[in-house]
Amino acid sequence: MTDTVNIQPGRSRLRAAFGYEERSAMIFLAPVMLVLMLVAVFPILYSLYLSFFRIKLTRPNRTPFVWLDNYTDLFGNELFWTSVARTVVFSVVSVSAIAVIALLVSLLLNQDFRFRRVLSTIILVPWAIPYVANALMWKWIYDSGYGALNGLLFQLDFISRYMVFLGDQNKTIYLIANAFVWKEVPLATILLLVSLKAIPSDLYAAARVDGATVWSRFVHVTLPAMKPGFLLVMIYETMMAIRHFDLFFILTEGGPGDASHVLSWHIYVETFRNLSFGSGAAMSYVLALVTFALSYIFIRTLGRRV
Amino acid sequence: MSRPFNSHMRRRDFLRTSAAAGTMALAAPRLALAQGASDLTMHTWSAAVDTVQSHLNAFTASSGINVNYGNSPWAQYREGMVTKFVGGAPLDMMWVSDAWLPEWVEAGWIAPVDGFKNLTQYNSEAEEFCNDSMTYNGRQYGLTYYTDYMAFLYDEEKVKAAGFDAPPTTWDEVVEQSLVMKEKGISDYPMMLAMAQESWLIEFMSTLVFSHGGRFIDENGMSSMTSEKDGAMEALQWVVDAVSKHGIVSPACVETGELSGLKAFASGNHAFAMVAKYRLRMLNDPEQSQVAGNVQQTLMPKGGNGAHNTVGWMRFHGMSSQAAADPIRAEATAKLIEWFGGKSDGAYKFQKLLFLDIGAGFGVKPLFDDPEIKAAYNAYGDVEVIKAQQSLAMQKDVVTPWFGEWNETNGTAWQSAILGNTDVASAIAKSSDAWDELKEDY
Repeated sequence: MTDTVNIQPGRSRLRAAFGYEERSAMIFLAPVMLVLMLVAVFPILYSLYLSFFRIKLTRPNRTPFVWLDNYTDLFGNELFWTSVARTVVFSVVSVSAIAVIALLVSLLLNQDFRFRRVLSTIILVPWAIPYVANALMWKWIYDSGYGALNGLLFQLDFISRYMVFLGDQNKTIYLIANAFVWKEVPLATILLLVSLKAIPSDLYAAARVDGATVWSRFVHVTLPAMKPGFLLVMIYETMMAIRHFDLFFILTEGGPGDASHVLSWHIYVETFRNLSFGSGAAMSYVLALVTFALSYIFIRTLGRRV
Repeated sequence: MSRPFNSHMRRRDFLRTSAAAGTMALAAPRLALAQGASDLTMHTWSAAVDTVQSHLNAFTASSGINVNYGNSPWAQYREGMVTKFVGGAPLDMMWVSDAWLPEWVEAGWIAPVDGFKNLTQYNSEAEEFCNDSMTYNGRQYGLTYYTDYMAFLYDEEKVKAAGFDAPPTTWDEVVEQSLVMKEKGISDYPMMLAMAQESWLIEFMSTLVFSHGGRFIDENGMSSMTSEKDGAMEALQWVVDAVSKHGIVSPACVETGELSGLKAFASGNHAFAMVAKYRLRMLNDPEQSQVAGNVQQTLMPKGGNGAHNTVGWMRFHGMSSQAAADPIRAEATAKLIEWFGGKSDGAYKFQKLLFLDIGAGFGVKPLFDDPEIKAAYNAYGDVEVIKAQQSLAMQKDVVTPWFGEWNETNGTAWQSAILGNTDVASAIAKSSDAWDELKEDY
């Protein structure tokens, strides 16, 4: 009896705080939460823990706790800053290009014309190609000995001998950005097209009545209404560009020299080639924080006016 | 309607049976281990898998020892093995690259085999650089699986068309003959060099350095690459000049991997190539090469202080430390290593099989006298030149526990010099500094 009396208030509090449906939801969600804790939350926290150690798999008997040394060492790491600079160039070039091209394509697809559906389907093809296949395709296109691009330019008499593309340090990062843009434009187009379709036709009708030109309607009606779509595109594509790895791995392996040595490649080399898991984890956290910070800036600046 | 479960088994019976089954399941692995105490685990990269498996079957039939065989792709092999070692996965024998030997020894993952006389008895018949490549800190860690070296190949037809009777013997002559070929329109870039950032790069760089009479490090392990005469400067300067001054090597060499370079040479784009010797077979195969029948091997051209030296590399059968810790397993593993790396049934069967199957080079000298091997070699090359060049092969001097990390910096520095981002002296100095820093760190 005494036990029952002791338990009752706790039960009542639980019942008072959560209704039957909430309690049921908790029970049903518990297994999924447990799995998520094991496969997502635990590895994230564990990698943070590892970043405080000097862990190198090939030196299993020497793993000192170094506090924040793995983070502070980055400030003096010349190659790390080179990779940051390369990442910034790649991200700015590719995200800008994606935004502009996707805008133009979405405006085109928003018009009524013959074969619009066919064109929409064709435009989606790059999106359906896996990243690795995309990278291998561009490797063939850019090859200096037998590449399709060289073949085309040579056949059209634009060049007298085959050119070096990926081996030219001044072109490499832009050529990789081009391959990235080709793959990402379809998704960005869809996101922008959704925004376009959501604009009420009344707004355009009213603008016409007021004597607005095509350009005025675009600047004062279309663009402001597309801001939510742009916000989404900018955040998503910036995150994708900063973290992108596949194209660098397959096309250049960070080369030639350090011309395409971006942050994601630097982390890969440090973690999986040098097998330095401590410093690799620290770099990954820096990358994650930068990505979060950029997303926050986008939301604060673009999102405020949406 | 009665349910079959209830008709045959009551709840108590079910619980009793389940408990028994659980106990059996828990005990089974231990029982299996006790029964198969002599079972070994062997892991290799995915090469000649069928040949390995059939040779393994013969081993089991001969010794009664069962072997669990696994393999994984070369590209992920090192990382996969490190994970296995760190995770304590069962492993007795594995294939090891000379490039990883110091790293794996220092980590305590592989054990010396020089305590087994049945293994060391083959040392006298192995090439010197092979024995050197399996030795670290005075201890031997395995028996040869496959060895090869970097060869200098030329297209005989193009050399003759350029008006030369013989292939070049020095790097200056390579420039001289290449310039004539360019002038006569025989080839835009007569010399094929594959200098992309990949695992082959160190082999190409070592060949250039050794053939110029240089070294990356001295006897004390300190960097000597900045030395004008016997360092790496002369070799890198030759490459930089070949690309930017003479235009005999394509500027695209920094994006050309070994396989792409090989294909370009096979399609007749070049007159000279530096490739692994085992590629000679493919290059003289009409089904795979447009220059088949014209490709010849000559000794590696030499630089100012050089003597036709080249780099040789080794892959060998090693024993894990966990196998070495148990005398019975160690004995069985040594037998397995001998079966593959030494003689089985009185002959170097496995190395011969590998050579005949995929053209892989062997590290034991007596096989050069085998009539079948001589005939196979002479079908696409000159066995005497092959043998002479092998005797001039040298072990990579940079193989240390920090080799992998230094290799990244070194490759980038060389590429930067080739691209003209930096001068040769600065590139070599950067690589040299990285070496000294890593050496101190380790």
